[in-house]
Amino acid sequence: MTTDARGWHVALVPETLVNPPARLRAMLPDVLAALDAGGYGVLQLPPTGEHRLLLAVIADQVAEYAHHGYAVVAIGLQGEPGNGLHWRRLAPLLRNRGMTPPLRHIVRAGSDVELEGQRLASLLAKHDLPPQEQQRWRV
Amino acid sequence: MDEDSAPRKVALVANCLLNQNAKVCEGARYRGLVSPVVEALRSRGYLLQQLPCPELAFAGVRRWWAVYEQYDTPAYRAHCRRLAVAIAPLIERHLRRGDEVILIGLDGSPSTGVRFTSSKPDWGGRPNRPEDDWEIVPRRGIWIEELEAELARRGLPPLPATGWALDMGRFDEAGSRADLEAFLDHRQGEPARHPGSSEPL
Repeated sequence: MTTDARGWHVALVPETLVNPPARLRAMLPDVLAALDAGGYGVLQLPPTGEHRLLLAVIADQVAEYAHHGYAVVAIGLQGEPGNGLHWRRLAPLLRNRGMTPPLRHIVRAGSDVELEGQRLASLLAKHDLPPQEQQRWRV
Repeated sequence: MDEDSAPRKVALVANCLLNQNAKVCEGARYRGLVSPVVEALRSRGYLLQQLPCPELAFAGVRRWWAVYEQYDTPAYRAHCRRLAVAIAPLIERHLRRGDEVILIGLDGSPSTGVRFTSSKPDWGGRPNRPEDDWEIVPRRGIWIEELEAELARRGLPPLPATGWALDMGRFDEAGSRADLEAFLDHRQGEPARHPGSSEPL
């Protein structure tokens, strides 16, 4: 029997934080590297614009995780419309699937990059389900 | 030409290459990101575009292992077409602006295999098959077949594609990485752009 390495943590991440444009790169922590170090998987959100069907497809996946013992967090970017999270559309889609929308952590570009990286790493390290929920699912 | 209008390199990546939680039980080899794939792509200047996971959204995170033939049903193909219709506009936008677009799937997967998928026509019923009781055959997985069909319906060219060999029975990370890097560095032929033009439409 092989072991399974999954981290049981999933982050919703805006397009701009998955693929930061050059003008923002020096002003942001490396969010993918932070998620990798924290053992999080990524669900990439689309760029600004109308993506009704894709957001519904993403909501299906997020709700599936939330209903089966995975810790979900949303990492937004301050200054992007809706912090890049499509929250006005995504939050109702999640509620319709029986899920409370996940915790949002907003990254700030241009402030102290090291401090922003530490804020993010700290959030990722402590974010999890209650122990009894972990024990129920993660066997 | 500024950054926003210059052609870019874009890698469509299988959902589980950014999120190993999407794998079937016992299938995750990493906690979250498949970091060798992400590093190989980012270090070469590729933007990442994650594809939806068709199996997770269809059969759930607690699904059984399955082979190509079990997923080769009208309902699953219709589900994959819905996902393809959802993601295709983003891919089409890249191609029409002249970006180079490649596809990195998951070889051995019944859904996301590119060069290889898993096959065993007699699988079914009680899930108690012995370990490794399936075959690896050279063909696309169901999801990749339906995604490519949707792109073709839109008049878009075939994408250069390969697979990270995670589901081939014996996972060899170093070999898989060398294989991926060879694909990225020595690809034959022109990158996928819209037919007849190297310029955005």
